[in-house]
Amino acid sequence: MTETTPMTEKTPSAAPLLEIRGLSATYGQVRVLKPTNLSLFEGELVTVLGPNGAGKTTLVRAIMRLVKAQGEVRFKGEDVGRLATHDLAKRGIVLVLEGRGLFGSMTVQENINLGAYTATRVELQERRARIFELFPRLKERLHQQSASLSGGEQQMLAIGRALMADPKLLLLDEPSLGLAPRVAAEILRALGQLNKAGLGILLVEQKAPLALKLARRAYVLTLGRVVKELEAGEIGSHHDIAQYYFS
Amino acid sequence: MIDTSIILQAVIDGAGVGLIYGLVGIGYCVIYNATGIVNFAQGVFVMLGGMLTYTLLTSLGLPMIVAVAIAIPLVGVVGVVIEWFIVKPMLVRNSPMFAIILATLAVQIMIERITIMTAGDQPRTFHEFTAGGPLRLGPVAVGYQLIWVLVCSVGLVLLLTLFFKYTRIGNAVRACAQNRDAAALLGIPVARMLAVSFALSAALGAIAGILITPSQYTAFNVGVPFGVSGFIAAIVGGFGSASGAFVGGIVLGVAQAVAIIIFGAGYKTVAALAVLLLVLLLFPSGLLGKRSEK
Repeated sequence: MTETTPMTEKTPSAAPLLEIRGLSATYGQVRVLKPTNLSLFEGELVTVLGPNGAGKTTLVRAIMRLVKAQGEVRFKGEDVGRLATHDLAKRGIVLVLEGRGLFGSMTVQENINLGAYTATRVELQERRARIFELFPRLKERLHQQSASLSGGEQQMLAIGRALMADPKLLLLDEPSLGLAPRVAAEILRALGQLNKAGLGILLVEQKAPLALKLARRAYVLTLGRVVKELEAGEIGSHHDIAQYYFS
Repeated sequence: MIDTSIILQAVIDGAGVGLIYGLVGIGYCVIYNATGIVNFAQGVFVMLGGMLTYTLLTSLGLPMIVAVAIAIPLVGVVGVVIEWFIVKPMLVRNSPMFAIILATLAVQIMIERITIMTAGDQPRTFHEFTAGGPLRLGPVAVGYQLIWVLVCSVGLVLLLTLFFKYTRIGNAVRACAQNRDAAALLGIPVARMLAVSFALSAALGAIAGILITPSQYTAFNVGVPFGVSGFIAAIVGGFGSASGAFVGGIVLGVAQAVAIIIFGAGYKTVAALAVLLLVLLLFPSGLLGKRSEK
């Protein structure tokens, strides 16, 4: 959440914040993600779209080394493909899991504090203040068990907890899943704010219309392969994304 | 008709041994909660705690406090070694849970055999922490060692509760227990937390072994009975619940002691298993286990 000038357009000459080349992953004998290339520049919000089973979740899990993967992952130009998940988090790449991955028996406060596991006490206080500014409802629920929160509040907590790690790049896997449209819009609005403040975001979404409202670029994934890359200018005018969902 | 004071004495003595079962049971829970593994080498930590302290006292002539201060971390290191060289590689290779559990059983047997070869098969004991006693409380006698067991056990349970609730590492271990992927994504070194849980569990076993040796004895083969009793205590209390294991241990110890008085020594194991079956029939999740857990 560092304050940087938001990018208005991709700068081809600049090194990408995240660059993946030939990233693939298999579950047993099945190759769920075929060699995939993707890049995300500083301050960009890029979305990965695709139907159920397209390999979107595997893609972000492969980036975070939660599944065995082959291929190259570079973050700020550095090869981070061999780092462990917790080291990637320390470098500034944080993933909000599909299903939120909250520690259900812990309170909101405990979840939030764990987000800042590597932070000092002062940093923790500063980051908490910023999270409560973004999601004031979390402050009201501080001592409540996280499993007892509503779906929207749980998603706010999951994102808030990820922000406590002070990411430079935030990956989100289906943040609108299971949420009422109004709540999903609220969550995505918050993501838009974070992106405007300079945070790089890779948003995996099944609901294309929601994601395309925010995204600067989009990748469409089907059957574990990127079948379409939409650049900044194309997103607004592109109406045939639906064909990839039904092809 | 058995005198009430004899029964009362059995209850007191049984509760003392039960506190030890409780500590062993908590050791099972600490590892299970963090890794999902039932570590059947748990009893061996009890044996090592007693044997190492005995060796440090007799061979090196160290004072009790120094011997204890060395023995507990040493057994903790054994716990970390087991996690590092046996459990972790198997977890990384996605070994089935039963295979990991069998591996911990193999470790238990290996350490027992090594103990026979290096320290012999004779039972060992050392003096109580405080000489004198026992205290007479009406018709019952309470040995000083029993008071040590009580104070240390309650103190340890309190410390563990504070550790898991209020420290960064304690919360991180709890987080790993609930969702390892989510924990790693927050920068928590999951492998290190699993090692912490093994170290803690081993240290708890060692303390149990050190506390019980003066009033009983230690030998290469005490690990299995203490391991089994601690396991039953953990199930009776509700597997995974530390406070449950503590209560389960006391219930088990008292039931065994009273059964010995009423029916004879041969009924000790029968009493333990009867308590286990009865609790499982009436409370399938254990006395303090969460009803909704899978």
